[in-house]
Amino acid sequence: MEPLTQGLMAVLWRLTALMAADRREWTEAVLAEAAELPAGWRRLSWLTGGIRLTMREAARARRPWYPAAFAAVATGIAWSAWSGPPGDPAIAINRVDVLAVVVILAGSAWIFRRTRGPVAVARWTRLVRTSGYTAVLALVLVKSAVERVAGAPPNNHAAGPAVAWTGEVVFLALMASYAAVILVYTAQRSPVLPGTLAIGTSTGLILGVVAYLLGPLGFPLRFTGPWSARLYDVALGLGVLLALCAPVAAGLAAARRTGGSLPAGSRFRQGAMAGLWSGTTAALVVAVLSTATIAILPYDSGLQYWATAHIGQWIPAVGEISPVLHPRLGYVAGNSAFAAGYLAVLLIGPLAGCAFGAGGARMRHPRGPRTTMTVPRIRPSRFGA
Amino acid sequence: MTRPSEFTKQTLAVLAVLCAHPSSWQHGYAIARDTGLKSGTLYPILVRLADRGLMEACWEDEQPAGRPRRHLYRLTPEGLASATAALADVTPMVRAQARAALSPRRRLSTQD
Repeated sequence: MEPLTQGLMAVLWRLTALMAADRREWTEAVLAEAAELPAGWRRLSWLTGGIRLTMREAARARRPWYPAAFAAVATGIAWSAWSGPPGDPAIAINRVDVLAVVVILAGSAWIFRRTRGPVAVARWTRLVRTSGYTAVLALVLVKSAVERVAGAPPNNHAAGPAVAWTGEVVFLALMASYAAVILVYTAQRSPVLPGTLAIGTSTGLILGVVAYLLGPLGFPLRFTGPWSARLYDVALGLGVLLALCAPVAAGLAAARRTGGSLPAGSRFRQGAMAGLWSGTTAALVVAVLSTATIAILPYDSGLQYWATAHIGQWIPAVGEISPVLHPRLGYVAGNSAFAAGYLAVLLIGPLAGCAFGAGGARMRHPRGPRTTMTVPRIRPSRFGA
Repeated sequence: MTRPSEFTKQTLAVLAVLCAHPSSWQHGYAIARDTGLKSGTLYPILVRLADRGLMEACWEDEQPAGRPRRHLYRLTPEGLASATAALADVTPMVRAQARAALSPRRRLSTQD
């Protein structure tokens, strides 16, 4: 038994090298304690647990597939955005967009890993982070696809290149903020409780999908039949109500979920963070889906027919939609009012969500912090303070 | 219906041990003995608690004779508040299980 134990200790010591430098103390702690255990199966079992811990931490510290997948996707998007006629200002904007977003996403991940730690252990949290990053990259992809449509002017073309580039700077600043929120919410040292993240994600997904279904191209739909028009008006009204109430409900639910385990200030913060996350998720979902639909529009005659029939004279800022749709469908996305609309959604969504979520958390009747508890009595510690 | 705790039963058992003497430093084997947890379960819990800032860890200052230096653990003020609230907030069943993990009979059975 002793040679086996010695062998396991040697293996565990070697495995320590696989871990990140700041995590090695945990394996060293297991090894230090092992010396105190009675020799035999108990010490063997202790060391086996240490190996499990070490392998798990090593796997977490070195996940080559995440950076590899990110690099592959970023290369694909860059290739997609790069193609286009030289001299087209839309292509220049696309290229800057892709390069800047890739640098922002990679750089933010590097910075927040040092300040907030790596991604949390839970698979759910990893899924949220991966989905969030995927959504940001997808938004850049579909945005560049829309602007690449032949003849489509860049955003704010009519207003001149300075306005177009200002819009791009705002877009990139928003993407940096989205990356920061995604990373902070899913980090190990996140101030957000897992329940808050779950509530915000589910609320935001529902809200984003409903908003998209009610206006897939960013405009309310037009129905000619009296019943279908009335039904759509009701659905639109309910959608607006949902947009107002969902972040409030998320904030309320997040604050309620924390119960008495946190002080009132922390419950309020959890509510605000749930609202912020639901607004962020909803804005990202609706922006990606709508822009993707517009990107498909020039190539899908069925979708064009549907769009022509269901988009009507509604937004004065955009003007007549029909002539916009007819000659160059890409112009729908290139229109400055349209682009500004989605920038506004991406900007206002999280802020409004945060405000409404905080309001929802305030609605919860505050319950005083519990001060009494029953702690099981155990023997005194061997170490003094 | 009671709200599910944000901590697992095993984590609650660890928190109960650390909470019992919040100003004292405790080491891994002592916690394992008190909770009945194996190292493969205990240490990931300790790692998570430390990552969340609920627990602080340090090495013994001086090298004791005859054994390696121990890695010591203690709840932070935030951890103590969370643990206190969580232990008070969990269902009676979970609290009983956490307490059972610390019962004298169990401790005796895990004594060397």
